[in-house]
Amino acid sequence: MVLDDLGESLRGTLDSLRGKSRIDEEDVDEVVTEIQRSLLQADVDVGLVQDLSEAIRSRSLDEEPPAGTSARDHVLRIVYEELVDLVGDSMELPLEERTIVLAGLQGSGKTTTAAKMAWWFSTKGLRPAVIQTDTFRPGAYDQAEQMAERAEVDFYGDPDGDDPVQIARDGLEATADAEVQIVDTAGRHALEDDLIEELEAIDRAVDPDDTILVLDAAIGQAASDQAEEFDRAVADGVDGVTITKLDGTAKGGGALAAVDQTDAEIAFLGTGEGVKDVERFEPSGFVSRLLGM
Amino acid sequence: VVDEDDLAGHLDDLEFALLASDVELSVAERIIDRVEATLLGETRRRLSSTGDLARDALREALYDTLDVGDLDFIEAIEAGDDPAVVVFTGVNGVGKTTTIAKLVRYLDRAGYSSVVANGDTFRAGANEQLIEHAEALDVECIHHEQGSDPAAVIYDAVEYADAHDVDVVLGDTAGRLHTSDDLMAQLEKIDRVVEPDLTLFVDEAVAGQDAVNRAREFDDAAAIDGTVLTKADADAQGGAAISIAQVTGRPILFLGTGQGYDDLEAFDPEAMADDLVGE
Ligand SMILES: Nc1nc2c(ncn2[C@@H]2O[C@H](COP(=O)(O)OP(=O)(O)OP(=O)(O)O)[C@@H](O)[C@H]2O)c(=O)[nH]1
Ligand SMILES: Nc1nc2c(ncn2[C@@H]2O[C@H](COP(=O)(O)OP(=O)(O)OP(=O)(O)O)[C@@H](O)[C@H]2O)c(=O)[nH]1
Ligand SMILES: [K+]
Ligand SMILES: [Mg+2]
Ligand SMILES: [Mg+2]
Repeated sequence: MVLDDLGESLRGTLDSLRGKSRIDEEDVDEVVTEIQRSLLQADVDVGLVQDLSEAIRSRSLDEEPPAGTSARDHVLRIVYEELVDLVGDSMELPLEERTIVLAGLQGSGKTTTAAKMAWWFSTKGLRPAVIQTDTFRPGAYDQAEQMAERAEVDFYGDPDGDDPVQIARDGLEATADAEVQIVDTAGRHALEDDLIEELEAIDRAVDPDDTILVLDAAIGQAASDQAEEFDRAVADGVDGVTITKLDGTAKGGGALAAVDQTDAEIAFLGTGEGVKDVERFEPSGFVSRLLGM
Repeated sequence: VVDEDDLAGHLDDLEFALLASDVELSVAERIIDRVEATLLGETRRRLSSTGDLARDALREALYDTLDVGDLDFIEAIEAGDDPAVVVFTGVNGVGKTTTIAKLVRYLDRAGYSSVVANGDTFRAGANEQLIEHAEALDVECIHHEQGSDPAAVIYDAVEYADAHDVDVVLGDTAGRLHTSDDLMAQLEKIDRVVEPDLTLFVDEAVAGQDAVNRAREFDDAAAIDGTVLTKADADAQGGAAISIAQVTGRPILFLGTGQGYDDLEAFDPEAMADDLVGE
């Protein structure tokens, strides 16, 4: 099982249950405290950590371990099941024509992710294009154009334009030959009402198949509120989450709150600044990382 | 005397509140230990509950953590070489380049001229970004082509400032994660070659637990004199400020409060400590 290779302190605590066939309240409290620490250190939302702890505590005490299962393995299984349930499946991305909008906080990695996703779709035999609608950030057009060039994919942007909605419309038309059209947007956060409205307008104009929220792996407890607001801004809600900068030490636990708030699934993981530094999300490896393995 | 059981409950609540504000776990534990040490043995003042005492002690501990290493940006510029050289460091996308643009405006208002140097010779669009800011702010931007030596760019800017009587060089660096040995070694080299008067570490208010790791690693590579905490407008609790101040022992100088050139505020440790205990 995935959790065989747990973080050091968590393993230590669980090891104290080794050989025991029954588990008492004190044992459970000790394990739950360790799991709480790991998850909080991974930036999992404190409310979620509390809910999760409660579920693990009550299931560990109430559920009878299957015959032949040690107390330790029983608790392990419960922890694993609860976490996998929360993390959810990897977002389905059928390899067919689609339009995707990327949104997220300033600097979270949207422009880089747009090029990475385009590259990824191109390796699957589809023809992708990146459309840059960020008219605000200095150099945004050049950045996206250069990244698209590195990914060897089509690109549309308008360095002189000042209406992101119009650029999005023009871009969809100009790249109509592409099978996957990825629309990059300017960075914004939940409190910037005018920018949130702008996102609503882009979303209406593009009417995407998928809206993907791009989250920095290091985001803290703000993830939940931010995700909630983005989910509200786009007509069909946020469908997917991409976590960037996982090549650092941040664990990406903020994504759990985002998934929880939006009913989205995690699509991709970013692991570097290059266009090829992208992986499809895979739940068990991610759970391992959350627990500090 | 404060009742120990009663106190323990309050301390647990406070620790949880710190974690919910993004203060890093080990930093939060240290602060709560300190609060406990202050309160144990303390005679309970009449009329004040243990909860209030604990909150007051916490506010004090947070304030002390934030109020470190007396440093005034303008005084440091004055005391530095001529031109004074300021280098900005930090992980990817936190707001280094934007902060430099804001500080051009800030320095100008304080009566100092500046030149910006694009030591980010790596990221796509980095030159264009800083050049556009420099044009908007009407200052010179020294830049080289992508892939060239970042230290050389900043060095060139110092020569330019010398020749043109410019007061301050603001040197940008590429964002990098502290796990990249090559890029951290490059940062060490920039620090060694450029010998900046000030190294400002930039991080964002929305950062969570990782703030401690990166502050520590960046401080090791190029000693941090002060921090700028950006994206304070994004409604995060900003506990990262506590984590970073605790790790570096250096002050937070400014808050970034938006994407405009004027969205920069002097950091106020007292206001932050009050915010964190929920005043
Ligand atoms: N190490 C690493 N860096 C990344 C990753 N993804 C993005 N970055 C870097 O993070 C920084 C910000 O990335 P951008 O793609 O510009 O972010 P953005 O969301 O488009 O930013 P705005 O448009 O300003 O909101 C850049 O320095 C990128 O190179 C990643 O997975 N790993
Ligand atoms: N809301 C808000 N956005 C900010 C603030 N500071 C910077 N930004 C935005 O954050 C994004 C990234 O800013 P940059 O200045 O490019 O960040 P950087 O650290 O130089 O990024 P790299 O060079 O790629 O590592 C841009 O969209 C900025 O406009 C701030 O205080 N508040
Ligand atoms: K949804
Ligand atoms: Mg962008
Ligand atoms: Mg930059």
